[in-house]
Amino acid sequence: MSAPPRARPALGVSLLRLFTVQGSWNYERMQGVGMGVAEEALLRDLKGGEDDSAYRAALARGAYFFNAHPYLCGLAVGAAARAEHDGVPPDQIERLRTALCGPLGSLGDRLVWAGWLPLMSAVALIGVALGLGLSATLGFLVVYNVGHVALRWWALRAGWTHGARVAVALRQPFVQGAAARSGPAMALVVGAALPLVAHHLSGGFVGWSRVLLTVVGAGGLALLWWLRGRLTGLRFGLALLAVAALAGWLWP
Amino acid sequence: MSLELQLLLLGWGTLVGLDLVSVPQMMIARPLVAGSIAGAMLGDVWTGLELGVLFELFQYDVLPQGASRYPEYGPATVGAVAAAHAAQGTLGLGLGAVVGLITGMAGGMSMHVVRGLTTRAVRRASAALDAGDPRVLVRLHAAAILRDAVRAALVTALGLALAQLARAYLPGAITVRSVVLLNVAAVGAALAAGTAGTLRLVGRGAPLRWFAVGVLGGAVVAWLR
Repeated sequence: MSAPPRARPALGVSLLRLFTVQGSWNYERMQGVGMGVAEEALLRDLKGGEDDSAYRAALARGAYFFNAHPYLCGLAVGAAARAEHDGVPPDQIERLRTALCGPLGSLGDRLVWAGWLPLMSAVALIGVALGLGLSATLGFLVVYNVGHVALRWWALRAGWTHGARVAVALRQPFVQGAAARSGPAMALVVGAALPLVAHHLSGGFVGWSRVLLTVVGAGGLALLWWLRGRLTGLRFGLALLAVAALAGWLWP
Repeated sequence: MSLELQLLLLGWGTLVGLDLVSVPQMMIARPLVAGSIAGAMLGDVWTGLELGVLFELFQYDVLPQGASRYPEYGPATVGAVAAAHAAQGTLGLGLGAVVGLITGMAGGMSMHVVRGLTTRAVRRASAALDAGDPRVLVRLHAAAILRDAVRAALVTALGLALAQLARAYLPGAITVRSVVLLNVAAVGAALAAGTAGTLRLVGRGAPLRWFAVGVLGGAVVAWLR
C-alpha cells in the first residue's frame, strides 16, 4: 500500500480537526459529524475533477454514527480514509467503522479515563498537598497533554498506515501493556493522594470540627458506596450542605 | 470585583466549559486547573487551589462516558472561586461549595439541552449529510461548537451571579459556627465522593491492592508532615 501524495499535510489538518471531534456530539450520530469533518481532510484526493461522487460517498460514510473514546477516534478516521483510497468496498468500510466503536471505546476508557487522567490528576493533587502550588497545576497540564497529543497522533497515524487491517495496531504489545498497567498505577497514585489531600484540606479544622469531619467523611463514603448508582457525589454534597446550613441556623 | 475581572472570569469559564467535551479536551476543564487559574486572575491563587482541590475530588465521582449525564465542575469551580475569594479564609470553602455544586448541576443539565438541540439540527440536515455535502457538514459542526460556547458562557455567568449574591448576603447573615459546619460539609462530602468514585474506578483484585498500598503510603507521608 503506498500513501497518497498529500498524506502528510492532510494528516496534520485531520489531527487538528480531531481536537473538535466531539463538538457536534448528539444523540443520533453521536461523534459521527465530527468524525466526518476530521476525515474530510483525508478524502480530498478522491475528488476527480467534475465528478466528485466518490469523495461525497466517502464523506457521507464518514459522518455516519460513531462512538468511541475521543482521543482514539483518529484511528477509525485514518483507517476508514485509507480504506477509501485503497478501494475497499463501501459495506466493508462501514463494517470496519462499526467494529471499531467498541474496542476503541473500551481501550480509551481504560487507558485515559480510568488511567492516565486520574493518575496525572492525583500527581497534581499530591503536588498541591505538598505545597507546590500553581506549578503542580501547570505541570499537570503539560505532562498530561504530552501523552494526550501523542496518543491522538499515534491513533491517526496507525489508522492511516494500516487501513482496513487496523486491528493489527490495537494488538501491538505496547498498547496492551499500557492498558494493563494504567489501572494499577492509577490506583496506587490516587490511593496515595487521598490521605494527603484529606490532611491538606482538614488543616484548618480543630477540636469538634475535626471529629465531625471524620464522621461525615466516613459516613458519606459508606452511604455513597451503599447507594451507588442511586446517590451521586453532587447530590450528597448538596444535601449535606443543606443539613449544615439548617444545623447552623438551629444552633447559632 | 470589577466588571473587567468579571468579564475575564466569564471568558475563562467559557473556555473551560468548551474544553470539557467540545474543544480541545486538554483538561483545562479539570477543577484543579480551572480553579487555580481563576484564583490567579483574582490575585488569590491559594483560594483557587483550595477550591480546585475540593472540586477535583467531586470530579473523581464522574466518568464522562458517551451519553451519560454528569455534572460540569469546570465553570462551577470558576464561580466557586469567585464566591470564596471575597469571603476569604474561613468562609471560603463552604460558600464556594454551595455556589459550585449548584452551578455544576445546572451545567450538567445545560449539556443535555444543547445535545438535544444539536440532535435536532443533525436530523434536519440528514439528507445533505447522507449526500456527502461538505459545506453542510462543516457548518453543522461549527454551529454546534458555537452553541456549546454560548452554553458554557451562560453556565459561567450563572456561577458568577450566584457568587455575587452569596458574597452580598451570606457573610453577614451566618454565624461562625454555621461557617464551620458548611466547611465541614463541603470537605467531608468532597472526600467521600472522591474516595467512592475512585473505589468504583479501581474495582476489585490487583488494582484494589495497589490502592490500599497507596492509601497506606499517603497516610504515612501525611502523618510525618
